[in-house]
Amino acid sequence: MATLEQPLEKSKYRRAGRWFDVRRRKPGMWAYALNRITGIGLVVYLYLHLGVLSLLSRGPTSWDSFVSLARSPYFLTLDVILLAGFLIHGLNGLRVTLTGFNIGVKKQKVLFSALILVTVVALSAAALKIFGG
Amino acid sequence: MTLLDITLQIFRYKPGQQPRYDTFTVQVEDTAHVIDAIDAVWAKHDHTLTFRRACHHSSCGSCALRINGVEKLPCITRFSDVWDGSSPLRLDPLRNFPIVSDLVVDVSGFFQRLSAANMSITRDAEPFLPLSVDDLADVVQPRTVELPDNLSRFNRFENCIECGICMSACPTMAVDDKFLGPAGLAAIYSACQKTDDPDKVAHLLALADGEHGVWRCHSAFECTEACPQAVDPAGKIMALRREITANRFKKSRRR
Repeated sequence: MATLEQPLEKSKYRRAGRWFDVRRRKPGMWAYALNRITGIGLVVYLYLHLGVLSLLSRGPTSWDSFVSLARSPYFLTLDVILLAGFLIHGLNGLRVTLTGFNIGVKKQKVLFSALILVTVVALSAAALKIFGG
Repeated sequence: MTLLDITLQIFRYKPGQQPRYDTFTVQVEDTAHVIDAIDAVWAKHDHTLTFRRACHHSSCGSCALRINGVEKLPCITRFSDVWDGSSPLRLDPLRNFPIVSDLVVDVSGFFQRLSAANMSITRDAEPFLPLSVDDLADVVQPRTVELPDNLSRFNRFENCIECGICMSACPTMAVDDKFLGPAGLAAIYSACQKTDDPDKVAHLLALADGEHGVWRCHSAFECTEACPQAVDPAGKIMALRREITANRFKKSRRR
């Protein structure tokens, strides 16, 4: 590569910020950004989940107090957000796998719209179930 | 004809100086293209503004830049397509290239990637090849045309004008300087299609299968969306993946 001066965004971490810049971009870029956001969210959740499970080793009192917290509406809202993350990441993973095998590449925007539709429908049904009892 | 007063915010940078945006207001016709306003800024306001342009009809690719953050060729982009009628229009150089000055970037990395695929030049829109004798029969005296032996050196992958827009639009390019990139990989795909030499195909596929090859693409499809010539680099990357995967299966079945 040329050795000319590059005055902006020398840091790769700052340049990685472009992963989430979807302004005026097309659905493929929205899917790309959503996959990263949900991926990071699911990794964070995994560690939180392991932390919560470790409460079991502290005896029934701490576990029971967590369970009562987990039944609060705020916590249930987090459950719905978590489910949204699973659905978007999983379904988009399917879309990326298909296109990666050169299947449906021309229809990748339709596939993205379909996954969003499935997510909204499934999430609505799940939210009704979670909050309705 | 209506005249528009357009305000441009143009990225400015000279080696050794801090980058900044300069604001200019110019008057252009309502049917004007963005390059006309840049020309007007240079002609009427600031002769130190550096930008590239040549053909004015999306043939050379040299004027590529970002208009309001999105990669475009200003020579074919009308204001009606990108201007909301009131806000300043922001012009930036392409991303993922070293900036030389203002809107000019060093595109040598782009050509290095193409050369990795051993690609080179003609396209459907401006074929170097002479028309067939029959085509010319009505206008000129028919004659025999000798084609050069090394014909392949004139063959560029379809319709690419080498503007660099795909590399700027690609989010993976932002974090992997060695990524072969949309144009490089599309060139490899086309080179594979144009040869019957199995050794050459194997070499090209190995290149695409490398650490900075097709698997670094994470399917944002922005290269294909931004390409002004419908080269569809993302489609070619996916086709390469399929080819590479199929070859792996074949190899594993032979063992």
